[in-house]
Amino acid sequence: MPGFLLRRLGQALVTILGVVTLIFFVQRLTGDPTYLLVPETATQADIAALRHQLGFDRPLAVQYFDFLGELVRFDLGQSVVQRVPVTTIIASRLPYTLMLAAGALIVACGIGMPIGILLAIFRNSPAAKAAAGFVLAAQSMPTFWSGILMILVFSVLLGWLPPSSTGDLSHLVMPSFALGLLSMATFARITRSALLDELSKNYVRTARSRGVRSGRLLIRHLARNASIPVITVAALEISNLLAGAVIVETVFAWPGLGQVTVQAILARDFMIVQGVVLLGAFVTVLLNLLSDLLYSLVDPRIVLEGAR
Amino acid sequence: MSRVSKAVAAVLVATALGLAAGPALAAKDRFVVDLVNEPSSLDPQVQWNPDSYYVYRNIFDNLVTRDDKGEIIPQVATAWKQVSDTEIEFDLRSDIAFHDGSKLTADDVVYSVKRITDPKFASPQLGQFDKITDAIALSPTKVKLVTAGPYPALLAQLVKLSIVPKAVVEAVGKDAFNLKPIGSGPYKFESWQRGVNVQLTRNDAYWGAKAPFPAVTFRAVPDAATRLANLQAGSSDLVVTLDADQAAQLKGSPKAQALIGLTERVAYVRLNTTKPPFDNPKLRLAAAHALDKQAMIDGLLGGHDKPVPELLTPAIFGWVDGIKAPEHDLAKAKALIAEAGPAAKAEIDLATAPVFDQRIVQAIQQMLTEAGFNVKIAMSDMATYLKRAQAGPETTSLLSFGRWSCACQDADGVLFPLLHKSSGWSAYRNPKMDALLEEARATLDTNKRLAAYKQVHEIVAADVPVVPLYQAVVIYGAAKNLTFQPTPNESMFINRMSWKD
Repeated sequence: MPGFLLRRLGQALVTILGVVTLIFFVQRLTGDPTYLLVPETATQADIAALRHQLGFDRPLAVQYFDFLGELVRFDLGQSVVQRVPVTTIIASRLPYTLMLAAGALIVACGIGMPIGILLAIFRNSPAAKAAAGFVLAAQSMPTFWSGILMILVFSVLLGWLPPSSTGDLSHLVMPSFALGLLSMATFARITRSALLDELSKNYVRTARSRGVRSGRLLIRHLARNASIPVITVAALEISNLLAGAVIVETVFAWPGLGQVTVQAILARDFMIVQGVVLLGAFVTVLLNLLSDLLYSLVDPRIVLEGAR
Repeated sequence: MSRVSKAVAAVLVATALGLAAGPALAAKDRFVVDLVNEPSSLDPQVQWNPDSYYVYRNIFDNLVTRDDKGEIIPQVATAWKQVSDTEIEFDLRSDIAFHDGSKLTADDVVYSVKRITDPKFASPQLGQFDKITDAIALSPTKVKLVTAGPYPALLAQLVKLSIVPKAVVEAVGKDAFNLKPIGSGPYKFESWQRGVNVQLTRNDAYWGAKAPFPAVTFRAVPDAATRLANLQAGSSDLVVTLDADQAAQLKGSPKAQALIGLTERVAYVRLNTTKPPFDNPKLRLAAAHALDKQAMIDGLLGGHDKPVPELLTPAIFGWVDGIKAPEHDLAKAKALIAEAGPAAKAEIDLATAPVFDQRIVQAIQQMLTEAGFNVKIAMSDMATYLKRAQAGPETTSLLSFGRWSCACQDADGVLFPLLHKSSGWSAYRNPKMDALLEEARATLDTNKRLAAYKQVHEIVAADVPVVPLYQAVVIYGAAKNLTFQPTPNESMFINRMSWKD
């Protein structure tokens, strides 16, 4: 086990360094933020002076090693637009991203998994057909449209929920549904196919012949065995939810990381983009590692390579 | 329904009911403004963007300001006198206190000027103030500013100079001041929940017009459709940056209204006069004849904007009545293009960025194509657009669409950068034009300046280095009973607003 862990951690570090290096250079391919910072009336001399003060006139290699040096000291630098440390910005946004991801995951699993079970076990019932239609509709609606539709119905028309921004938990309801309904389809599909796969196995037939009831069969035997692909997908979906909420965050003015990242990319606020990408790479690598470890917990037959 | 789902439904209904009661109660004492983005910073000297400006301008007083009509009026300075071509003396109010209780004196004004003009401070606004070479406190209520040569746009620029408290900034440093700004304006900084909102509270000791609302919240709401929905749901009282279609949606709304005001901003198409086909003045004239400004305004902009015959708007000093621009005449445009032969058929790139109204850009392309030009739209992100637009005639695009505001309402901030050979924005080379622009910026005599600008407008109309299109409007959405007069410089002074009965 320790050998496996060490090797995976080494791989993780190399992956993260690669991602960070890539984002550092790709961002700088098209210039720097100075043009966006100054008024239209600024002369070329004004722009050059500001560029010098901000350090963007230094050779790329110098900027890169500066950045790595700061990174080693856990310093992500300062936003050139907001002029506050990147860690402050990320720290203020991260809780909202986590809240939204959690809300969306609850919606996605809470609706998606039961629907998947329904689709697998009662394949031909009218309820399953209706559920399949619902999944298709939810996945087909783009969030910028479903989001604004929800706002118009539940806030403007009915006045039930706050239209946007943050506050108490009610602010989280619509963004969670807008985001979660998309992943719901994935969960429904994976749950269904994993269950169907298990249902066709011999032990199920044996259990049935012994008179084990469907409910008990599902909870005691099928759920555990079918959960492996679901865990894999959940790990991927969590990193998607963390990174992919840009549109929902924009529509609902939800102050998460996605929103600040897009704004930072447009404003060429390199330091923020680097910080967020670093975080994203870290989370993705970590979740993958965790899901590998979870496999062996759920299924003792899976022995982690190098764990002996 | 299972017990669990019943419980969930009950919670949902309860929160919904609780919330429905919330905003209505809060609206009375807390005024909510939806901006596009949150401010980038609230130190008035370290950034240049509208969302920061809307907020910090309510926290700080400026040396001078403009009234709702656009006239320069006293704020911190009560009166000013030009003592020589390069020196101007300001008398200051003696009754202004910063939010920490300390008095605003000439030292603070001198400090504010020197801070923003220090190249090491790296203020993006440096270019607006770098003609000021010195600031001297003559007494606690008298300041002298010295400029490098006569500088007619000085007062127009000083409208943007916020006065920061010297003692506080020096004591806490730049970063801490940015997080907790202290000014002397009608509102005090209360809190900044990053990414969520900035809250201000009324400065009850304010020397000037008292603000109508005890507290103000500025929120970041990037999506215009959401800002509109917030307004209609009653969760905000004022929202910025709507378009004409959204303004039309507010017609007949029981809760909200659109407030529309003409600004100093001028929309234009710039032609690169140094390269074919637009090195041929006749083809430039053809482009001017091909563009139907009124059709763009009526067809796409809701009819609110105003066509202009010169590269200014009436809100800017230097505007001259009676300039005759080439009128829309498709037949004339086609004839000029036919006359030029195959040279006119070269591919022309029209540079633009997503922030501009793409319907206008497409209309420009379509109108020029109809006349016989071969125009391709070249879209890039804003930073790339700006870089290329200012790269000089060698590398810049043949056409570019833009909306110009110098935020100074002085012709020097519009015509000089767009037309003088020394500016990166200019793709025009005409010694007569350069001489006129230099003359107009080197004299304090307003009549001489106006005479020079009149000639500039006539050259623009005849030689067409740019096609001026229209004076742009700004559209706000507001609660039905709010009184607020949009200004040409797009400022948002909360203490000039009020509730109608």
